[in-house]
Amino acid sequence: MPGPLGVSLAPYVRSSRSLYKFLKPVANWYANLSGYRKLGFHYDDLLVEERPDVQRALTRLTPRETYDRAFRLKRASQASVQHKELPKSEWIKPEEDVRYLAPHVLSVAKEDQERAVWDTINVERKK
Amino acid sequence: MLRAARLARGFATVVDASSGVKVAAIDNGQATSSVTVLLKAGSRYETKPGVAHVLSNFAFKSTGKRSALGTVREAELFGGVLSSSLSREHLAITAEFLRGDEEFFVDVLASFLASAKFTRHELTEYVLPAVLAESHVAKHTGSTRALELAHALAFRNGLGNALFADKHAAGGITAEDVRALQAQAVSDLGSVAVLGTGIADDKLATLFEKSFAAHKAASSGPAVAAPAAPASAYHGGSTRASFHHGLQTVFVGFGTTTPSQVLALHALAAHLSPTPAVKWSSGVSAFATALPEGVSARTVFLPYSDAALFGVIVEGADAGKITAAAKAAVDTLKAAAGGKVTSEEVKRAVARARFAVAGGVEARDGVVSVLGPKVLSGEGATVQSALEAVERVDGAALSKIAADLLKSNPTYVALGDVNALPYGDEIGLTTA
Repeated sequence: MPGPLGVSLAPYVRSSRSLYKFLKPVANWYANLSGYRKLGFHYDDLLVEERPDVQRALTRLTPRETYDRAFRLKRASQASVQHKELPKSEWIKPEEDVRYLAPHVLSVAKEDQERAVWDTINVERKK
Repeated sequence: MLRAARLARGFATVVDASSGVKVAAIDNGQATSSVTVLLKAGSRYETKPGVAHVLSNFAFKSTGKRSALGTVREAELFGGVLSSSLSREHLAITAEFLRGDEEFFVDVLASFLASAKFTRHELTEYVLPAVLAESHVAKHTGSTRALELAHALAFRNGLGNALFADKHAAGGITAEDVRALQAQAVSDLGSVAVLGTGIADDKLATLFEKSFAAHKAASSGPAVAAPAAPASAYHGGSTRASFHHGLQTVFVGFGTTTPSQVLALHALAAHLSPTPAVKWSSGVSAFATALPEGVSARTVFLPYSDAALFGVIVEGADAGKITAAAKAAVDTLKAAAGGKVTSEEVKRAVARARFAVAGGVEARDGVVSVLGPKVLSGEGATVQSALEAVERVDGAALSKIAADLLKSNPTYVALGDVNALPYGDEIGLTTA
C-alpha cells in the first residue's frame, strides 16, 4: 500500500547521478508548468489532507507554519475565484518551495507503522 | 538497631571514575528489582516556572534508541513498571521489573539521560495533557495546595517554587526549556545517583556505565552548567485562600535551615503526631485527645538538603472545629516548649521517630526519598547517624526545639471559607 505521499521514484532517481542530472531540468520545468507556484502555493499545500496521518502531521506544524499555510490557501482561493494568477511578485520562487509538511507526514507514517508492528508482534518466551 | 546495621552493610556506594555517577544498591534477595535514577531536576533547580513538572512527564518518551511507544510496549512485554516522580529537589525516574531483565530497563533509564529527544509534538500531544491533568488534581486537593502555599511562604524562591505547572506556566514552556533543564541535571554526573533494590551494586554500575556510554557516544550536546541553587532561607508568613472543592484545610508550620534542629524535629513530629499506633482507635498524644470529632489532622515533616518544613495539616468540614484543632496543636507545642512533657511521652516520641526513620528505608520508595539525597550529598547510604541522633533526643532537647520554633515566624495557611477560618493569632500563633 502506498504511503501518504504516494508512490515515488524520486529516491531511485536521486541515487543515480547521471539520471538525476538528466531529469532534474525536466522536473523543474514540469513543476513550473503545473502552475501551483503562480497561485502562491508550496508543493506541500497540495498534499491530500483528508486522511488521519496527514491531519495529525498538520497539528505538528509550528503556529507560524500553520498561519502561513492558511494564508496561502485563502490567497489561492481568492485568485481562483477571480480566474487570475497572482501578480508575478507574489509567485513562489523555486527556492521558497520547501517540503515543510512532508517530514511530519513521514514521521507520523513511521509511528503508525511501528504501532502496527507492535500490535501484531509475535512474542516468544525467553529461553 | 540490628536491622539498621545490616542495612548499612548491604549498601555500598560506588563512585565510578569514568563517569562519576553515584551508584548504590541493596539486595535483600527479593523476586523483583527496581532501579531509580535520581536527578537534581526538582522544582528548586528549574529556570522557568513549571519546567521540572513537564520534564518529569517527559520521562520514557522517545530517545535516540527507541520511540515512546516502543519503550512502553517493550516494558509491557517484560512485565515492568516505569514511573517518574518529582519532588522539590529531585526527579526520580524508576523502573521496577523482574530479576533478570535489568539490562533492558537500565538501558531505558540511561537512554533518557543520554539521548532523550524532547520533540515538540510529544510535548503538545502527550506531555502537556498529563501535566495539566496532574496540576488540575493538585489544585483541587486541599492538603496539596496548602503545602504548595506553605512552601512558597516559607522558602519563597528555590524550595518555594511551585511543584506543579498550571495552565499559565505550562503554556509558556517549550521543548527547548525542558531539554535545557535535563541537560543541566545530567551535565555533571556527580549530581546523578543510580539507586537499585534487588540488584547487586557492581552489576548495576557496570550495566549503567555501558548503556550510558553507548547512548552518549551517539549524541553530544554543548556543555552546560551544573544545577545550582542558592542556599535556602526560611521566611514564614500567613496566607488565606478560598477553596471550595472539599474539606477546608489549615496548615500551621515552622521551618528551619539549621541541620541540628532537623534531627530533633523527627522526635517533635512524632510527639505531636495524632496518628494512633493501633488501627481504629484514637491516638493517645496530647494533641490527639484534644482533637474534636470530625476533624482529621496529621503532622508533616519534610526534610530537604539544607532546610526542613514541619507542621500540622488540619482538615475538616466545620471551621469552628478546625479552629479548635489548630489551637490544640499550637497549645501542644507551647506545652512542649514550656517543658511540660513527661518522660514517658518523650520516650514514646523518640521510639516512634526511630521507627519512622528506620522503617522509612525498608520500602522501595523510602530507599529513593530518604537514601537518595544522602547518596547524592556523599553522606553514605545509611540512616544510622539519624537513628543515633534521634535516640539522643531527651525532654530538654524536645522543649528547646519547640521553643525555638515558636520564637520563629510561623507559616500559616488557611484554605476554604476565608470568612470563617481562623487567623493565626486566633489559634495562638504570635507573629503570624
